[in-house]
Parts: sequence; C-alpha cells; structure tokens
Amino acid sequence: MTAVAKARIAATGARRTNRVRRRGHMRRREVARAAMMIAPALALVACIFAYPAAFTLTLSVSEFDMVRLKLGEFIALRNYADLFDSPGFIDAVFRTVYFGLLIALVTTILGFLIALLLDQPFRGRGFLRVMVILPWAVPPVVAGVLWGQMFHADVGFVNAILTRLGLIDTYRIWLGDGWTALHVIAVAEIWKAIPFMVIFFLAGLQSLPRQVFEAAAVDGASTGQRFRHILLPLMLPIAVPLILIQFVWAMKAFDTIFVLTRGGPAGQTTTLNYFVYREAFQSFDLGRASAAAYTLLLVTLFVVLFVTLFRRFLARHAEARA
Amino acid sequence: MRPRQRRALLRGVAIYVSAGAVLLLMAFPLYALFLTSLQPESVIRSRDVRFLPDTLYFEHFRAVLTPGHIVPLREGIGNSLAVSTLTALICVTVALPAAYAFSRLRLPGRNLLLGGMISVYFLPTTIFLIPMFVVFVGLRIDDTYFSLMLAYSGFILPFEVWILKTFIDRLPPEIEDAARIDGCTDLQVMMRIILPLLRPGLLAGFVFAFILSWIEFLTPLIFTSNVKITTVALGMFRSTIDIEVGQQAAAAVLTLLPVALVMIAFNRLITRVLLSGAER
Repeated sequence: MTAVAKARIAATGARRTNRVRRRGHMRRREVARAAMMIAPALALVACIFAYPAAFTLTLSVSEFDMVRLKLGEFIALRNYADLFDSPGFIDAVFRTVYFGLLIALVTTILGFLIALLLDQPFRGRGFLRVMVILPWAVPPVVAGVLWGQMFHADVGFVNAILTRLGLIDTYRIWLGDGWTALHVIAVAEIWKAIPFMVIFFLAGLQSLPRQVFEAAAVDGASTGQRFRHILLPLMLPIAVPLILIQFVWAMKAFDTIFVLTRGGPAGQTTTLNYFVYREAFQSFDLGRASAAAYTLLLVTLFVVLFVTLFRRFLARHAEARA
Repeated sequence: MRPRQRRALLRGVAIYVSAGAVLLLMAFPLYALFLTSLQPESVIRSRDVRFLPDTLYFEHFRAVLTPGHIVPLREGIGNSLAVSTLTALICVTVALPAAYAFSRLRLPGRNLLLGGMISVYFLPTTIFLIPMFVVFVGLRIDDTYFSLMLAYSGFILPFEVWILKTFIDRLPPEIEDAARIDGCTDLQVMMRIILPLLRPGLLAGFVFAFILSWIEFLTPLIFTSNVKITTVALGMFRSTIDIEVGQQAAAAVLTLLPVALVMIAFNRLITRVLLSGAER
C-alpha cells in the first residue's frame, strides 16, 4: 500500500468521525428543539392530568380537612374499606359494569347492522346516512333532555305510541322505577353513540376485499355462510377496539344520568361515576370520593384487560382449530 | 314471477322496512324535540298526540331568550361562545408545536409520550376534577372564565395534539427540506410553509375544540355557581323551579343548534379526522 493511499484512508476516516460527531450534535439539537416544542403542551397536561391524578390518589389514602382545604394523616385503605362497607356501593359497582357492557354491546350490534344497511345500494341512502350521523351532533345534556321528554310520563311520545299500538293500557312512569330508568339512560347513551360506530364500521366494510366475497359466492357459499365465515372474522379486529372505547365512555357517563334521574330513584341509577360526584360535590367527602374514583378506574381497567385477553384467547383457539 | 325477481323484490322490501325502522329510531326523537319546542303548552299536554303540527308557535323561544328568564340561556350562550372560542384558540396554539414535534422530530420515547397523553382519556374525569376543585377554591379562582378555560384546554389538549399530528403526518416533508436549503429558519418554515398547508387541519382542530368545550357539562357544574358565568349546557339546570316542557325543548334546541350547524357544515372534514384514526 502506498503512502498516498494510506493518507487517503486516514483522511476519509477523519472526515467520517467528523461527520458522525456533527450528526450527534444535530441530533442533540433536534431533541432539544422537539422538547421545547412539546414542553407547553406537556406542562398543561401535567397540570390538568398528572398532578390531579396523583393528588386524588393521595386523597384516597389520607384524611382531609374540608374547611382549611388541607391534607391530614395517612390512613392507608380506610376510605376504601369504608366504601365497601357502605350500603349501595357494591351494588353501584355491579350496576356500572352492567351499564357499561350493555351500552357497549348494544351500540356495537346496532351500529354494525345499520352500517351493513348503509353499505347496500338503495334510493335515499345518502339521506338516511345523514339522519343516522345527526345524533352525534347532539350535546349529551340535550340527549338527556330529549329522551327525558320522549319517556315523560304525561307528555312523552313513548307512552303515547305504545298505548296506540295497544302494547300498554296505562301510561307508565318510566323514570319512577329504578330498573326502567337505568335502561332509559342506556337508551339515551346508545342513541348518542351509534353514529360513531356506524362511521367506523362503514369505513371498515368499504375497505373489505370484494373479490373474497365473489369467490365465495362462486364456490356456492350461501349469504349466511359468507356472513358468518368471511364478514364476521374480517370485522372482528375493528369491532373489539370499538367495543372497548365505547365501554370506557359508558363508564364515564354523567350528563344523561344527571339530567334524567340524578342517580335516583333511591340511588338505583347511580353508577360509580355519579357516586363519585355525589360524594365529592354534594357530601363534600373528598377522601371517599377519591377512593371511589380510583375504584372506578380499576374496574374499568379490569374489564378492558379481561376483554383483550379473552379476544386473544379466542383468536388462538380459532387458529388451533384451523 | 320468476324466483330471481321475487328475491330482488324481497330484498327491496327488507331494505326499506329496516331503513324505516332506523330512521324512526335515530331521527324521530330529534324531530319530536323540535316539534315540542314549536307547540303551545296546551297541545303538548293533551293526550291526543299529534305527529304533525297544525300551527307553529314560537313563544317558547321568545320566552327563554328574554333577559332575566329563569333559564339563563342568554348569558349561557354568550359565555359559552366566549369560553369555547378562547379555549379552541389556546388548544390550537399550544397543540400545534407539540404536534409538529411528534410528527417530524426524532425524540427518544416520543411514541410513549404521545400514547401516555392519549391514554388519560381512559381515566374518569372526576379523578381530575376533585383536586382541581380544591386548588381552584383555595386560589379563589373558581367561578371565573379562567378556571373553565384552563380545565377545558387541558382536557381537550391530548386529543387536539393527535388531530393536528394526523394532518401534519400527511404533508410531504420534502417541501420543508427544500425551504430549509433555500435558507428559511425554523420559524419561517412554520409560518410560511406549514401553516398555509395546514389550514384544513387547523380548522378541524378549532372546530373539535370548540364543540368539546361547548358541550362540557360536568366541569362548569362543579366550578361555577354564579349565574353570570353559567354556560349554555348548564343554564337549563340552574333554575330550581320546573320549567314548562315547551320552554325546556326550546332551550335544548338552542343549545343543540350551533353544534349541529357546525357539524353539518364540516361533516366531511370531521369524518375524515375520525377515520384517519381508523387507518392505523
């Protein structure tokens, strides 16, 4: 190897280390720039979410002086123990899970069926699509007022229609009974949530490979078979996250409950989220309220985890069978 | 009739019957609300239910919009317009640089950070409201526009960052590189290149933040007790006296109308934003 070649190699090496060093410098500058741009958003999120979440956790295991707004002694899980001893709390936990799952499942099934309908070509489809999406524009409070009027004992259309159809002979007080009132609230929530489901399912349906269905039809698969063996498996990956999002939303339902029943009659429509509101801002027992809020979070996470694992189990089971 | 024709006919009947049922479920309640808001109380109260109006009666709207009415709707609409507009502006301004950084710059752990920001929506809102109540009352800033705007901006921000990021993701980065080679500074790239190209995204971000602030109910319920700063969603429930059904319907229509008009006007844009999440 000649000296010239050696010198050239040395020079290339030097240039390379130089470039690497410069690139490292640029990277650090880029990181600094990114951090600066994200900082304001992050600070706001920390103020509004992170700090309060930690504060609530502290509240749930401490005494709190409501008059001087000061944290007191650490009392470990006494607030939680109190809650589980208090009447109605366990009922509220089960009611909340039932309420959330009911809304998530019914909304998903109805949303899927309506999306299937809107995927068919027919006259007036565009109009129907707009009508279906419209409830999405309704603020939750208004949805509560609206369904409260529909189910109003004296002037509601539901009583009037059911009487005319001969399905009931006396006007019913829908919101006067805990069981029916809970389902009236569920109707309001489902009605409001259907458009979101329809939008996503419709997009999912329109992105399906048409050839698969045509090939199956040529091979003699009936409509029912195509639905069961092709459409459902293809839609499941879209449906599961939608069910979970819907469930989390339903667990947080507040406006409709407040408007329709305020948790009554006799606390029979009180979900955990409403329970937290009542404890915190009507009884001003922030410790118990915080403990209830974290119970709600744990229950939500538990169900989400359960559904995710169950779905994974099902997928593996189906694979094993195939 | 041939079997094929008969099947086509059956299919048509099935489609229109189910379309009718869907229309009844989704649209009738809204129609009923509008109908009730436009009927005199005597008609609303009568057991002889009518599905089509004989006359239109606008007295309920006039009544709820009169100053000093037990439903403080006038104040509510004004306050909500102000608070929602300012909140939307704050959200877009704070979220835009963050969204740009998340989309374009290499930052270690940025996906984790973004995921963490989005996952706050899994937590119940009350978890955040309890300490905010303590702090706001302690600082004596409850019952102010400021407390509402601070809370709203925080609640909406993660979603806002995500919306703007989906729009920035779709811009080709080559344009920015070319501008940088031509000597533009970062700020100039942002102002002259990104902002003009991002107009639909900024509009979508503004519209979403506005709507989400407009419909917020629990936050003002907790933070405001003064009628002067009540918001529109809250206004209907500030009066302790039961109001007439027709007036309640009219107030509900007025609460709903601005959001519904915005939604209809930006229907396509909104659907696009939602579906860009589904693509992933």
